[in-house]
Amino acid sequence: MKSAAVLLAVLLAVGMARSQVSLDCHFAPGWEASGPARQYTAENLYDYKDGAADGYLSYGFARMSTIDCKSGADMLTIDVSEMNDADAAYGLFTANRDPRLPIAPIGMGGQIQSQSATFAKGIYYVEIAEVADNPNADHTAVMQAFASGMSARLQGRETAPEALQWFPKENLDSVRLVPESVLGLKLLKRGYVAKYKQGQAFVVQEASSESAAEVFKKLREHFDGAAPAQIANEAFQAKVPYLDGICVFRKGRFLAGYANLHDATQAVTLSAKLAARIP
Amino acid sequence: MSSNTSRREFLSTGLSAGLALPVLGAASVIDPQSAKAAVPAKLDYRTLGRTGLKVTTVGMGCMITSDPSVITRAADLGINYFDTARGYQRGNNERMVAAALGARRKDVIISTKSHAPNKEELQQHLETSLSELNTDYIDIWFLHGKGSPDEIADDMIEVQQKAKKEGKIRFTGVSTHNGQQKLLPWMAQKGVFDVVLTGYNFTMDASMDQAIETAAKAGLGVVAMKVMAGGTRRMKPDDPAYKKLTQPGAMLAALKWVIKKPNIATTIPSITDMDQLDENLKAMSNPLSAGEEKILSAHLDAIRPLYCRMCGQCDGACQKGLPVADVLRFLTYADGYGQFALGRERFLELSTAHQSVRCGDCAHCTVNCPHGVQVARRIARAQELFA
Repeated sequence: MKSAAVLLAVLLAVGMARSQVSLDCHFAPGWEASGPARQYTAENLYDYKDGAADGYLSYGFARMSTIDCKSGADMLTIDVSEMNDADAAYGLFTANRDPRLPIAPIGMGGQIQSQSATFAKGIYYVEIAEVADNPNADHTAVMQAFASGMSARLQGRETAPEALQWFPKENLDSVRLVPESVLGLKLLKRGYVAKYKQGQAFVVQEASSESAAEVFKKLREHFDGAAPAQIANEAFQAKVPYLDGICVFRKGRFLAGYANLHDATQAVTLSAKLAARIP
Repeated sequence: MSSNTSRREFLSTGLSAGLALPVLGAASVIDPQSAKAAVPAKLDYRTLGRTGLKVTTVGMGCMITSDPSVITRAADLGINYFDTARGYQRGNNERMVAAALGARRKDVIISTKSHAPNKEELQQHLETSLSELNTDYIDIWFLHGKGSPDEIADDMIEVQQKAKKEGKIRFTGVSTHNGQQKLLPWMAQKGVFDVVLTGYNFTMDASMDQAIETAAKAGLGVVAMKVMAGGTRRMKPDDPAYKKLTQPGAMLAALKWVIKKPNIATTIPSITDMDQLDENLKAMSNPLSAGEEKILSAHLDAIRPLYCRMCGQCDGACQKGLPVADVLRFLTYADGYGQFALGRERFLELSTAHQSVRCGDCAHCTVNCPHGVQVARRIARAQELFA
């Protein structure tokens, strides 16, 4: 009975902690709510996002609060997704950001466009989208005001995940968190993938050195004809269909490397540089 | 088939009907991912309604695909139907599909969707999709996520028809997650659409089959999504259904069950990685077995007492006037997803009279769920938990 009461208290506490996102539309003059705020969980996110719900769920979605705002004939919607952790929030931002546009300094990172804004801060991923009769109208200032106002209201981390600093910046196109099956391989569960002008680099963090070693062993077996390489704790290189020249190394609990390069030797050279940056 | 027919009988009916299906085409391919022995895979094709397109019965939903190499390999292995949408990852998914299929554009069928709420935005979405997909035409362009005819304005249909005349799209369509019982007959009667993309899986009742049959008879090509019944992504490991659906072969069985249905031309299961791709390809090689049929039946048996399908048939049935489906949903927030606070919050939004109802006070319950949900027991639990 006592344990049930404790559990109930914990559940209520968690519920209260997760109820602290207050949504309204008073971030720019003339804007007001168009109806009450709504909330969605993993169970009913499909009701709102249809098939796109899977994208949120794959990143570790907990709950979403949303509100519609209006100013005259202009309408916009604010979606605040609460994720399981800050990395998941940033990861969902990286999945949705336009890699051709710069990252704005909002929270851990954001993007402001003429009719939309996104950013991640702490465990929150925020999307602000305008529904406009004129799809070419420039409402950047409104988007900026809503994003800044919403960010100020949310608590949480404002620095991007450390792993992003490990990828060399030269010729870097974009970095995203892949929530499962990095490089299309089920063995590589969740990790960051950096896309370059040529090829892509990846870093996957396992729970321990032992589990990383186990995954490394299975990967090595997966790629017939892989040859050993001298990087960090252990490494191999191979030339395989779809991933071309690939090098995978293990450094402690991290599995990392390069893929989609013309030859495996190049992948080894770049992987050695990447290994030096991983603590 | 009446809605009272047992799911086990329904599955059996589906199985026997599926066995009579003609296989329109077959091919063998080599698995280029592995340098080991070649793995033959049989490809089955069907005609997508009035479009005349020959599609593999297993297509590919690209929305959560982890790497473009998975899409490229799927095309190399013979899958020829690929689905994306303007809204997936705010356009990044269309770019991934373009990067993966660019060299094979003419060999594959690409569908995308727009959720634009008005004509102007719809037109802009089309141009953006063409640009992001790096193509001169889209094979099938869906109005995304419509739940009733009221959501499909005439000017949206005009945009689709104009795009078709201009050659920017080959065929028109509507995608739908709910309300199919009204929407599909309306689409069949309307005569301006070529394809419907609908949620469809082994947990659904017979009214869905009737709606799909009406659409198919009218010449609409029917593409099925959500064929894995939502998969396990939304489940918690302690969910009783989780173990059933995660047992080896369960997901494949669910896919096979759908492609056995003669009115379904193709399916678009989400494929994340190479392993899932290989697994899904098996659905075209081997028919649904008796063992797999048992897996699906067992899953249905497991979720039946708990899982409200929101069919609405209990509306007004409670002698105390309780909104039964709503209360069941609130309970699911707490029991299924650990969101006790949200469930209680919603429960406390009910009227004071409804909050004070206790199922134990009624001599007998007037709510009989056609899907076997133990309504009185579940509602009583909600009252115990929240009131």
